[in-house]
Amino acid sequence: MNAAKTQHFLPTSLRAAIIASSYWVLSLSLTVVSGSVASFIGCLFACYLIDLGIHRSPMKRLRTFTINLLSLSFLLLGLLLASIVTSTAFFSDLASPIFSFNAAEFIKWFAISASLTVCLRVLAQRTNYGSVIEILFVAIAFVITLSAHRNGMIHRPFVIGDYALTRGIDPSSILMAFGCGAVLSLAALLMIENNHRRLPYHFTVLGLLCFSLLFYVRLFGLPTPQLTDDLGLTGQEQAGNSSQQENPFRDSDNNADDKEAPVAVVVFRDDYEPLNGSYYFRESAYSQFNGTMLDFTTRSDMDQDLIKNFTSSRIEASQLPKAEDQRTPVRASIGMLISHRTPFGLESPIAYENTANPNNLRFKRTYDSYSQAPEYDFNYLLGRELGRADWSQEVWDEYLELPDDPRYGELAESLIADLKPEFTDDPFAKAWAVKTYLDENGIYSLKNEHAYETDPAGSFLFGDLTGYCMHFSFAATYMFRSLGIPARVGIGYSVPASNKAGGSSLLIQAVHGHAWPEIYFRDIGWVIVDPAPQQTLVDMTTDPQNNLQQLLGDMLRNDASFDDFLESQQTSSINLQLILNVLYALVLATLLSAYTIKFYRIWIPSRAATDKQYRLSYRAMLDQLAAVGLHRQFGESREQFAQRVEEVAPSMQKLTDNHLALALGSQNKNNLDAAKWAELRSTIAQEIGRNTQTWKRILAWINPFSWLLSK
Amino acid sequence: MTPDSITEVTEPMPVSDTEETSNTTKIDAAVDVLNRLSSAVKQQVLGRDDVIELTLIALVADGHVLLEDFPGSGKTTLAKALGEAIVDDGSDKNRADFILPFRRIQFTPDLLPSDVTGVPVFDSNSNAFHFRHGPLFAHVVLADEINRTSPKVQSAMLEAMGEKQVTVDNITYHLDALFFVIATQNPLDLVGTYPLPTPQLDRFLFKITMDHIDRESELDVLDTYKQRRDLKQEKITVTRDEVLFAREQIDAAVTISSSIKSALVDISRNLREDERVLQGNSTRSMVLMLPALQVAAALRGRDYVSAADIELLLPRVLGHRIELAPGVADLNKVLVDAMRGPMEQLARGTLA
Repeated sequence: MNAAKTQHFLPTSLRAAIIASSYWVLSLSLTVVSGSVASFIGCLFACYLIDLGIHRSPMKRLRTFTINLLSLSFLLLGLLLASIVTSTAFFSDLASPIFSFNAAEFIKWFAISASLTVCLRVLAQRTNYGSVIEILFVAIAFVITLSAHRNGMIHRPFVIGDYALTRGIDPSSILMAFGCGAVLSLAALLMIENNHRRLPYHFTVLGLLCFSLLFYVRLFGLPTPQLTDDLGLTGQEQAGNSSQQENPFRDSDNNADDKEAPVAVVVFRDDYEPLNGSYYFRESAYSQFNGTMLDFTTRSDMDQDLIKNFTSSRIEASQLPKAEDQRTPVRASIGMLISHRTPFGLESPIAYENTANPNNLRFKRTYDSYSQAPEYDFNYLLGRELGRADWSQEVWDEYLELPDDPRYGELAESLIADLKPEFTDDPFAKAWAVKTYLDENGIYSLKNEHAYETDPAGSFLFGDLTGYCMHFSFAATYMFRSLGIPARVGIGYSVPASNKAGGSSLLIQAVHGHAWPEIYFRDIGWVIVDPAPQQTLVDMTTDPQNNLQQLLGDMLRNDASFDDFLESQQTSSINLQLILNVLYALVLATLLSAYTIKFYRIWIPSRAATDKQYRLSYRAMLDQLAAVGLHRQFGESREQFAQRVEEVAPSMQKLTDNHLALALGSQNKNNLDAAKWAELRSTIAQEIGRNTQTWKRILAWINPFSWLLSK
Repeated sequence: MTPDSITEVTEPMPVSDTEETSNTTKIDAAVDVLNRLSSAVKQQVLGRDDVIELTLIALVADGHVLLEDFPGSGKTTLAKALGEAIVDDGSDKNRADFILPFRRIQFTPDLLPSDVTGVPVFDSNSNAFHFRHGPLFAHVVLADEINRTSPKVQSAMLEAMGEKQVTVDNITYHLDALFFVIATQNPLDLVGTYPLPTPQLDRFLFKITMDHIDRESELDVLDTYKQRRDLKQEKITVTRDEVLFAREQIDAAVTISSSIKSALVDISRNLREDERVLQGNSTRSMVLMLPALQVAAALRGRDYVSAADIELLLPRVLGHRIELAPGVADLNKVLVDAMRGPMEQLARGTLA
């Protein structure tokens, strides 16, 4: 039984193919093509070796431990050989260095996959837990491959992403198909191991489940992971004007696990390059001191430049920045990949306008932002007056309020004491002095311990000077205010200008969430004075995601040119729709021709000559019997068959005798005439009708391929 | 025994070779002879209808049978009944009178070839040797316990069975045209026996293993043994010429289509290629089998050989001819495996 089970060629091949493909996907990121190919071949080799040889003589006698030991030594041998090939000059001299490298990779991966597969297969064959390990292995291979897709990296893994995107398909559907395939393969593996007889049935159920999953995603979209950024920018969109009380300072909540997760994508419609090296996107601001720290303002006459709501139509800020000659209008399309509380735009945003969402599955919200982006330089800020002309005294006071802690003023005063005489009264120079102090002395770190102090900013500034952007910006703002400079903490995103990489789209990732101090100049508006600590304890740099950035940008832009590009890609590759149509037509044609043949074979005996009756009549009756599920087994003689179906059609014996007499060369010429044949046929048909259930007869009529069974 | 099986009593034979008779009549005539023979044997042997049928097939198909059974199971009775049912009505004037209907040879280790073939004896009256015919000169010869004699005698049987002749002192003597050997051997008591060599076995058309008869038949045997021994009872007989006539008629009337022949050849080839088979069957076995197939078909009222005949006879024909590899016990399974493909071909061929 066991031997019969394992020596079946087809299940063995299926299993080998599944395991080999998991080796292939595993090795893809670790080696070159030759290595992947080698691992595939090695796995196939090992599978066939074990499955076809384990019950034969040499392997049958070896113990499991011995086989595993042998395969491990084979692995070591392979690794040794590979290292010899690459480390000695002989082979690279003989052929080329590339060739010897490829050869070494081939040897190495062949050895790895072959030996591991031997271990897996032997355990699966010999022990009852072995197949579990094997299935786990395949599952892990799939998971590792597809895990690159997590955190919104929709273009990964590149193999799949590139394939899908050049054809205008959302990679997620392909990945899901991949996942379904993985599930089915795993199920197949399981069932092969159990020699399951109802395999097709289970496959159908699993396939249905997978397809319903795909269907669900098509209709309702993928569930998005709940991402949190460090600044509370994301979350449910704000309903109404109520600001939430939330501590912006968080200890050790700032885990950097999903820091690369894309949050939004921006497509610049106008050319703009920031002078300070970073694109600032302002979403909101902390401006009102609530007794313990700065918070969203509750006053309607403060922060009138901020837009707090999404609307379906265009919405403009009620207060526009000044110094239009020093600003350039920038239109940018923004696609939010994660829900945000409030819209954000490139500093300084003056209007938002909702746009049509090109991809509902991908973008939570898309809109155009209109900004007056600053182009002034350092010098332009010197010698400016502070505050807005139409501010009331209360608003002035709000922008100058700070914790009741004299140290802020003392420190700030000490910092501006060193200013050159011509700058002692200049607000920007004072602010710059404060920023410089923080730049030089502050230490950037995410592992701060200030959150539960009454005044985290004070704890930071007068303590270890170790914190992250929130601490820096709060401390700076308090010091600005102590010097009489109206200031607030802007929050949003800050993305290095280099990330744009020459394109027009810019990817905003979770790591780019930022807070910065701003001060208000009368003729300019809110100006960002962002401290940039020179010492940092944490690496907040990320790899530029240029591909993803461009991909999402293209998706958001949804240009006709991009559509054209996709179409051109589609026509040059295989046309799915056409294939489906052809398949459909083929199926239809097959069915039609099957029915034609079926009814022709039943009808033709009534038209045929007497000397062909023996063959055609017999065939027609065989068809009818096959339709109700009675057909001759392989190797069964016609007489035996007639005997077997005697209960259903007793006259079949007579028909068989007459048929065989003519087919096997009886010289007896006074056989039946056409009428007798017809009579025999109708007798048998009646017998079949009498002796079978109605549903079987209905099925017999419907089944177009019943005649394939009659032989 | 059912009474209706003995109803037919000898009728004048429709000896009508000259005119063109239809196949059906030819077969009917031949089957009539066979039926009468079978009735005659069944009078004496109870519960062995299948063995009797096979024996008659072999008789008409010009073959010999080897019965394998324990003592007292009716082998001799069967052979004797058959031999006695075939009588010589003396219509043929050319035949020598030394041919007897039935002879029995009890094979022993010290038997000599001349004991079965005959020997030239010096006649002092005529001062010359003249041949004394051995027991082989008969219609039906029962070779009892054939494996108890030496290979020397067995090989003397070879020529007789294969060529229907014996050669003594370089003179060849022809045996009767109906020469039919029923040999028996005991499958269990093998001490001091000489197992038949393969070529000798190949001369037997069938090897028939006789199982114990069923309970009812055994009771019948006990009930009726006296009546059956009663020599005054009217006996159904068939003449030697009628048997030869049936042989001719069947051969002429029953068709063997080429697809049947190719099925036979394919089965043989399959068997020879099967790794469970050490030695496959000979071509001769197939040649010997053809008339047997015809007789089997005729017995079932057909004038053509069909797959059912092959299925009936093949195990009997090949059983003693095939040598299985060590460790393989089930000949039937090997046969079924070898037959499946060719039989499928044969069945499909009828629709082509």
